[in-house]
Amino acid sequence: MERKEEILTVRNLNISFETTAGTVRAVRGVNLSVNRGETVAIVGESGSGKSVSAKAIMGILAKNGTIDGGKITFSYYRSPEERVTREILDMKKEEIRRHINGKRIAMVFQDPMTSLNPLIPVGKQIMEGMIWHYNTPKEEAKARALELMKLVGITDAEKRMKNYPHQLSGGMRQRIVIAIALACDPELLICDEPTTALDVTIQSRILELIQEIQKKRQLSVIYITHDLGVVAKVADRVNVMYAGKIVESGTVNDVFYDPRHPYTWGLLSAMPDLGTDDERLYTIPGSPPNLLHRITGDAFAPRNKYALNIDSRLEPPMFRISDTHEAATWLLHPRAPKVELPEELRDRIERMKREGGYYESAAE
Amino acid sequence: MNQLQSNSVFPLLEVKGLRQYFPISRRYTVKAVEDVSFYINPGETYGLVGESGSGKTTIGRAIIRLYNPTAGQIFFDGRDISGHMNRETERELRINMQMIFQDPMACLNPRQKVADIIAQGIDIHHRYHSLKERSEMVSDILHKVGLAPEHADRYPHQFSGGQRQRVGIARALIMNPKLIIADECISALDMSIQAQVVNLMKDIQQETGLAYLFIAHDLSMVKYISDRIGVLHLGYLLETGTTEEIFSHPVHPYTQSLISAIPNPNPLLERNRTAKKYDYKTSGIDYSAGSMHLIEGTHYVRCTDAELDGWV
Repeated sequence: MERKEEILTVRNLNISFETTAGTVRAVRGVNLSVNRGETVAIVGESGSGKSVSAKAIMGILAKNGTIDGGKITFSYYRSPEERVTREILDMKKEEIRRHINGKRIAMVFQDPMTSLNPLIPVGKQIMEGMIWHYNTPKEEAKARALELMKLVGITDAEKRMKNYPHQLSGGMRQRIVIAIALACDPELLICDEPTTALDVTIQSRILELIQEIQKKRQLSVIYITHDLGVVAKVADRVNVMYAGKIVESGTVNDVFYDPRHPYTWGLLSAMPDLGTDDERLYTIPGSPPNLLHRITGDAFAPRNKYALNIDSRLEPPMFRISDTHEAATWLLHPRAPKVELPEELRDRIERMKREGGYYESAAE
Repeated sequence: MNQLQSNSVFPLLEVKGLRQYFPISRRYTVKAVEDVSFYINPGETYGLVGESGSGKTTIGRAIIRLYNPTAGQIFFDGRDISGHMNRETERELRINMQMIFQDPMACLNPRQKVADIIAQGIDIHHRYHSLKERSEMVSDILHKVGLAPEHADRYPHQFSGGQRQRVGIARALIMNPKLIIADECISALDMSIQAQVVNLMKDIQQETGLAYLFIAHDLSMVKYISDRIGVLHLGYLLETGTTEEIFSHPVHPYTQSLISAIPNPNPLLERNRTAKKYDYKTSGIDYSAGSMHLIEGTHYVRCTDAELDGWV
């Protein structure tokens, strides 16, 4: 394995929104790091702050949002020798537009219909970024756009260049969006629910496409999703987010085969299991907390049947489990009572490990 | 198409050779649904799956008669509801068949209180004698879907997504229907909430014995909730059978590709998995040439004789 090189570091990020109902603390102290060529997934329910964190990295928060604290450090290569490190939160909006957005960090949004301009042919939309960021001559940009469209698997690229978004299917549109995102050779790609609006068959094709491109270009990718199937497929590392905090983070194997946070247990249990014929799905009782109100203690405590007394008073810190794995739950405190995984989940993980050949690969 | 009839019970809903076309201009007609036949038994859940544009929503809307079917017959509870309906038939249909929509925010009137939204059906059909009875019915139904009676005086925006979908279910349930058409009713919800809603739907089914037509593109959820499944593609019903039959012996290449594309939440398997590719244009299969062939039991596939020989 080559040396890991961090390209994005987020430290203690706090974001709040002013709304008519009061202040919503959407992100409460998020830490995140992404290495070159790595895929990091952020998993969480809607309202857990995963999209907001990504938007902060891109500098495209909504007007009523403020960043109350934290640091976002991003480094890129201006030329093969010259590495530049910048604090995104200290940069002016125009500066971010000029140097970061689209050029170094690109984003793919959930709904390809709303992220494409309906009045401009798709080919022109792919060329737009190159012309703006690099002053690429039009002919060259056009050639490159064709190349990109072929890269993302669009046949008949020349003809499709002149198509408008509405003339393409959902999967095609999302491919165009990915082509636009890749047009300026970014170092980091943020995919915000890139396949939620698509069907399963197209979903796996798009994911495989992004993986392929990633290998070719040493691209780092952040996936924001609520679909654990997607995470299992693409991610190297996983961050589970709940109520504006990362509650568990680790490698895919850590989180799927050795989950420690009760919320992660709930998420894993709630997935319909194709291997068994259970009569009922497991559900996490209750609903996520309203972030309008100040949260004392552990935000997940009211829905957690393993909650301890301390959970209602003090917020748990991140406990280290291994070099790669950490989780924020008091259950990991040395003095906490020993709590075992729920039995069904333990059986399921056991079965997943067996089916996946976990033991064989561990023995090697 | 008689072979598609159920043999044991008299089906609650029977769709025979349904076609639904939408004329766009004089020259161009969108053929959304082509020759679809299936049935739903009382108390059963039938899952319709397919990608977007496959016509699954159109079928649901044609059955509940939001559209006028171009051709084919629909029998509901022994009555023909496909053509012109007399007043009595229409009344029966409007009471006994209800629908739950995909986006709970879009389908609830934001300016009505939840009590009025839920009671709209019983208001129209005069199902109560006094206002006291009306509010009792509403709070009963709220209780049934896991909401509190005091929620009745709130507006839709005061609820979370999962709670709103519960209101949508309550609105359908208050008529005590025999069939509920659930059109992608959980796709807009978060995963932990999806499980809650699906469990609720199952509980209600056990209690009242109603049937569901469950329309979705998420196969893992469909597998979980359905007794039988129909696979749609480009307006054709390609394969139908019990959940077991479809998932353990998918015959049609499209069904196979669909099942192979279900994400498996097991990273070690998932990373090495590639979905089976299927392209109608290059597959050489002509849906319109095929007809329904029996595989075994209730398992049917749409194909020609030659194609079937190649697949089985």
